[in-house]
Amino acid sequence: MKKQLFKISLNTIIILSVSFSFTSCKKFLEVVPTNQVSDLTLWATQDNADLFLNNIYASVPTLETGDPWENFSDNSLNGQAGRVSTNVYGPGIYTPANTPNKWGQYTNIRKCNLFIERVTASSLPEDWKKVRLAEARFLRAYFYSILWTYHGGVPLITDVLNINEQGDAVFRARNTSEETASFIIFECGAIEADLPVTAQSGRVTKGAALTLKGYAELFNASPLKNPSNDLARWEQAATTYKKVIDLNKYSLFPDYTTLFYEESNNNVEVIFSRQHLGGTSLANYIGQIGPRFVNGSLTGWGHVDPTQDLVDEYAMANGLPITDPGSGYNPQKPYVNREKRFYESIIYDESIWLGATMIMKQGVGSLNATDLNNSSISTRTGYYVIKGVNPKYAGAQDNGNSANWIIFRYAEVLLSYAEARNEATGPDQSVYDAVNEVRNRSDLPDLPAGLNQADMRKAIARERRVELAFEEKRLPDLLRLKLAETKLNGTVHAIKIDIVGGNTVYTVVPAGGGAKVFDPAKNYVLPIPQSAIDKNPNLEQNPNYQ
Amino acid sequence: MKLKLLQSPVSGKAFFSLFVFLCLAGAVFAQADFTLNGKITDGENALSDVSVIVRETQQGTTTNANGEFTLRVSRGQTLVVSHTGFETQTIKVGNRNEITIALTAAAGNVLSDVVVVGYGTQKKTSLTAAVSTMKGKEIASVPVANLSNGLGGRVSGVIVKQGSGEPGYDGSNIYIRGLSSTGSNQPLLIVDGIPRSFQHLDPNAIETFTVLKDAAAVAPYGVAGANGVILVTTKKGKSGAPSLTYNGYAGFQNPVVLPDFVNSYEYATLRNAAAVNEGLPEPYTAEELQKFQDGSDPDAYPTFKDIWGTITNKNSLITQHNIEVSGGAERIKYYAALGYMQQEGMWQATNTRRFNVTLNVDAQVTSTTSVSFNLNGRNQNSKFPAVSTGRIFELIGYLHPLYGPLRFSNGMPGTFLTGSLFNSGYEKYGINSLFSQLSVEQKIPFVKGLKLRGTIAYDPTYTMHKLWTLPVHKASLDRSQTPYVINDGIWGQTKPSLRQDIDFATQLTYQAGFNYDNSFGDHNIAVLGLFEAKANDLTSIMATRRNFNLTVDEINLGSSSAADMSTGGASSAARQAGLVYRVAYNYSQKYLVEASGRYDGSYYFSPDKRWGFFPAFSVGWRLSEENFLKNKISWLSNLKLRASYGEVGALAGSAFQYMSTYNVLGTNYVLGGNAVQGISERSEPNPNITWERAKKTDIGLEASLWKGLLNFEVDYFYEKRSNMLMSPDVIIPAEYGVGLSQVNAGIMSNQGFDFTIRSAYDFSQDLQVSLSANMTYAKNKLLQVFEGATTYNNPNRRITGRPLGTQFGFHALGYFQAEDFESDGSLKSGIPTQPWGAVQPGDIRYEDMNKDGQINNDDLTVIGNPTAVPGIIYGFAPSVRYKGFGLELLFQGAAKVDWYYHGSAIMPFWETMLPYKQNFDYWTPQNTDARFPRLTSSPTVNNSQTSSFWMGDADYLRLKSATLSYTIPASVMNRIGLQSIRVYLSGQNIITWTRLINYDPEIGPNNSWIPNGSWGYPNQKALSVGLNITF
Repeated sequence: MKKQLFKISLNTIIILSVSFSFTSCKKFLEVVPTNQVSDLTLWATQDNADLFLNNIYASVPTLETGDPWENFSDNSLNGQAGRVSTNVYGPGIYTPANTPNKWGQYTNIRKCNLFIERVTASSLPEDWKKVRLAEARFLRAYFYSILWTYHGGVPLITDVLNINEQGDAVFRARNTSEETASFIIFECGAIEADLPVTAQSGRVTKGAALTLKGYAELFNASPLKNPSNDLARWEQAATTYKKVIDLNKYSLFPDYTTLFYEESNNNVEVIFSRQHLGGTSLANYIGQIGPRFVNGSLTGWGHVDPTQDLVDEYAMANGLPITDPGSGYNPQKPYVNREKRFYESIIYDESIWLGATMIMKQGVGSLNATDLNNSSISTRTGYYVIKGVNPKYAGAQDNGNSANWIIFRYAEVLLSYAEARNEATGPDQSVYDAVNEVRNRSDLPDLPAGLNQADMRKAIARERRVELAFEEKRLPDLLRLKLAETKLNGTVHAIKIDIVGGNTVYTVVPAGGGAKVFDPAKNYVLPIPQSAIDKNPNLEQNPNYQ
Repeated sequence: MKLKLLQSPVSGKAFFSLFVFLCLAGAVFAQADFTLNGKITDGENALSDVSVIVRETQQGTTTNANGEFTLRVSRGQTLVVSHTGFETQTIKVGNRNEITIALTAAAGNVLSDVVVVGYGTQKKTSLTAAVSTMKGKEIASVPVANLSNGLGGRVSGVIVKQGSGEPGYDGSNIYIRGLSSTGSNQPLLIVDGIPRSFQHLDPNAIETFTVLKDAAAVAPYGVAGANGVILVTTKKGKSGAPSLTYNGYAGFQNPVVLPDFVNSYEYATLRNAAAVNEGLPEPYTAEELQKFQDGSDPDAYPTFKDIWGTITNKNSLITQHNIEVSGGAERIKYYAALGYMQQEGMWQATNTRRFNVTLNVDAQVTSTTSVSFNLNGRNQNSKFPAVSTGRIFELIGYLHPLYGPLRFSNGMPGTFLTGSLFNSGYEKYGINSLFSQLSVEQKIPFVKGLKLRGTIAYDPTYTMHKLWTLPVHKASLDRSQTPYVINDGIWGQTKPSLRQDIDFATQLTYQAGFNYDNSFGDHNIAVLGLFEAKANDLTSIMATRRNFNLTVDEINLGSSSAADMSTGGASSAARQAGLVYRVAYNYSQKYLVEASGRYDGSYYFSPDKRWGFFPAFSVGWRLSEENFLKNKISWLSNLKLRASYGEVGALAGSAFQYMSTYNVLGTNYVLGGNAVQGISERSEPNPNITWERAKKTDIGLEASLWKGLLNFEVDYFYEKRSNMLMSPDVIIPAEYGVGLSQVNAGIMSNQGFDFTIRSAYDFSQDLQVSLSANMTYAKNKLLQVFEGATTYNNPNRRITGRPLGTQFGFHALGYFQAEDFESDGSLKSGIPTQPWGAVQPGDIRYEDMNKDGQINNDDLTVIGNPTAVPGIIYGFAPSVRYKGFGLELLFQGAAKVDWYYHGSAIMPFWETMLPYKQNFDYWTPQNTDARFPRLTSSPTVNNSQTSSFWMGDADYLRLKSATLSYTIPASVMNRIGLQSIRVYLSGQNIITWTRLINYDPEIGPNNSWIPNGSWGYPNQKALSVGLNITF
């Protein structure tokens, strides 16, 4: 009996103690998540708030190596089948339902709005606030510039949308293209004074703000947005670009090849770049766009195959375009005596890459033979890109590459300045100086003196296409200059190389999968994605997209 | 005293005396008849009409109304006691004149079953809830590694879908009565009363599975019960002499089905045909085709004639061994088991090994106190190639003849697959987990029928993960030289890397409460009250090193450069607490009423939204106990009508959506050349968020006819899930820029019926047959969801009102044919235009649903049934026993389910991947009703639109399992001195009938080209030989 009593009391203790814990149940259910911070903590210190801004920087798009936007232009084709550039954009069969688009930038814009709103309201030190707010406003303007470039006028949202407080007011209508441009230009102008000329690498500077302003002004002065050719717009762009030049901070990096490699990150030419760090989740995978087979082994994915049309734009080493009768160009020896940038950017038949001779010829069992039947196994054009592809990290799988993705660099500023100045007032010496500075870096002679405005325009356009090739500048240029309806209609070309009777014979042929259609009545802007239209009845679709 | 006597060691002298006595007795009494008086019960009540036969003489009798019988027997003879609905027992007569035999209910007998329910047990006859049960024994012999794969087709209301056959990842998704929510539909799993997963228990150690289906059954689980509950109980010891049992099988597995890819010759032929169709030069010459065909130049022109045969193991091993000891004395009972399972994979790097130990001890400590102690330990090690399975399957799709053979003639790997599959290092998971619990039950002597009980369970789980990645070699061929030169090459990282993770998870569960059971005349009452609290904590830590110079898989031997190492870790916690009650009352076992429920709280929500009350009510009426039926209709043994209604909850979304919080991101950006952290907005918080509510109604009918010859149970169910957590993102503008937290806004219904029918008939002592069948039909409907105007206003596209997961796309009308075009190649007028490029004869034509002359998103419509869960699932299991032989079959099928064939799963040259043999049936002017559209070098945008053209009917019927066994006769066993030996052949997924081509209907072609796991490792067909010995 005694034993039994003991047992009872033991049970009672267990039961009571457990029941007791119920009285503290409210506390029991109190769990604080460990990977999150609260609103209060986040905006309490500079260091914490900086982390939020870091994430906005991390949202700046880098090269999308699966199908870079260069492939949407006439400079290159994606060697892989089934990509949007060749399947949907190239043949012009995009509809609001399947269009490539930039609408995701609104996620980044919200981050900026949130940062700006919370930091403005915070009691953090004013000098810190001034710089950080300017950075966030730059980034917001940059995200809007992406939307504006491809979609035209978009809703200008500068507050943090909140459906609980704003209700239907979160459904914003589109602003006009002009309003969107003015916003970007205004914002950049308003913040440039708050930004330092030199900042920690990875952060926005005064130069970046001015360059973005110049970009928007140049785009807005171009025929697409300036049909009446209001010269004041060109003048405005030239003035802004001149301010960048006059900062005297930037100069051309001497070596065009390593300019894009990790060892040259944040060099004297770079104005704004998306940072990368090898060996982490922030690595740069640019190796994927490069040559597919090296020594028979799959190396890159060949996601950017330069077209014959681009190759033909590279000058001869003597500085003359191949179309010039005096250039010395021989179509049956097309790769002889070309300008330096050609060899620094492009892999062609019998060139050397990673110590191997690259063979694009037909009928010799080469895995890199020009793909004439659209099987998407080797290069579609007879060329591969190596600009920016560091031999150290040429493998598609390599995650070691720390090279930054350059968004604005000084060469673009010079060429944009030259273009704007030439359009506004004609080819003065400053135009020559700017273009020649770029040419001289690649050992090309100065442009011949005495060019008229039209000739200079052509010279700048060719220089620009070559210098900035594969940097995703070509499509915006085709759009703003209204060249897309000619350049993106028809087909782009590949080189077919055969051995006939012991001689190598080069034939320019239409590139497989390279047929393009561009309807000027609608295709100068992308449609607003149907998914966005479906959700927001106030969004008006771009013209002629159902 | 008795106990002590049993424990006292038998001295040699005593043993010798006993031996001599037995021998003498045997000699003297061997042929002497005597009268045996016996009584047969079901453990509690006497059983009448039980057949008792003396095996040696085949003479016998049946028991009277009091369960008694009398027989003339002689010593050494054996009684065979059989009764419909009970397990047949054989008992040695021995040296006794009186015997009481308790029969145990056979699987399928309902009358005397005691059913495990939430926080207790109930007699099946007095249940008012919808519950189905299954014995663990049913699947112990079936060659499956993961227990969940044994459930399909055996229990009504349970839908099981095995999504992968990969060892270590082959658990099934389990759905009880279909889908009821857009959020989680996972049922709650309970082992021995504590929330835990049963999937990796030793199958032999399982006594019963119980599936709780309706509100009355699941209400005690409150906020966790809405998706149904599966209760598993492990075996307990039984009083009596120790019994030792061995059960084991060894078998082999092969994939149920593998996609039938083309070989090199066929590949090249198709490529040429595509090029010709497009007016492009042919990529392969006749000479090259010949080389692919005859294999005369295998380095440059590999044939790939047997892709699967060269990369997969045939007949990979699956084996399981188990030893159980069970026994007990009057006041202590024990059950102990040791199990081992080994399963090899399709390729040599993959395997899983598992040890299970089970120890269950029940002790009657005093006359009023009993204690149970349960331990269930598991050690499981799984190994895989370092390259993920999804990636491996993707690489199989790139076995192009052009890239090289699997291995070159000098043995070097020729494809990316070769190194990835055979020599990429390894990924290992080591799991050590323990379920431990101690329960104390105390009868209160001065209150009749009152018991207090308390349980503490502590379940720690350690998981070690190790990923050792070696450089993947892929050699290449330089064909410019003669003979060819083969160069070694490395794809991706050039030096090894290692990642190690350790996770430590614990679950601590307390339960404390009381049971009160009493009868007052015809009034029977049972009350349960209980408090439960559960705390889960998880801590994990991770370390990586890259660029190992030594090929030694030790974390500390990697590169010592700071840039080559990284660390990580995380922790999380979860809490739940609740008060459970159940009050059951019945009058004379005839009218049954029950109320149960729970007041429950979860850490998921904000403090004022944490606690909720979930009640349920049920009633039952045993018509067969009414005087107008009882004893009047002799063939009706049981007839019960029951109904229940109640409300339970579901934690469908994720925790902490009520808080305004930001996520901290580890390595997010680079400033000043160094990695820095970032913070991002998670989503806009919803302070009002709470659980989903499920209102469940169930009406059931149970009947047992002809003394259990035919049993059936049928239930109609209707559930309305409200407060369903949904993302409102579809109604906020795309420009909003961040997702909103879920809100309790959706409403969904789910209704249907499930039934079970069981019949067993003994033609004779030697021939017994039985058949059981079950079926579940469930149809859900989204009653209120967030839906944009575009789809809502289009009756063809409206999601609201349709089942969850309904598939939408274009309705394909077949092909454009030559007569649809003008002579200039343009479409004839009146034919709706399609926006994805110019079409040609042989392209897929879509229906213009809204007749506006053009095809666009407004023409989308329903093209298929949901994929996730079949609308109908059924099983039927015939079995025959003849003498020692037994054959048990289980057929299982599903209907009202469709799979969509994504790109590379069916289309030739999708993302340059390998086509299938069936792709030869493509459209040509001569083959205008081909299976596939005109052949192109990559699928055209027009032909790869989501449409009914690529929908696959995934109805199937399969012989899910079969067991053929032979039990050696007792007469032979007596001579050997063992109790029983049973040998068996058993199989799983033996034959499948389906219209789905190249894929298993349970896994389906969910393999769009997107890599990383979306390709399915096929389910396995397993055949085994087993042995069961009781010593």
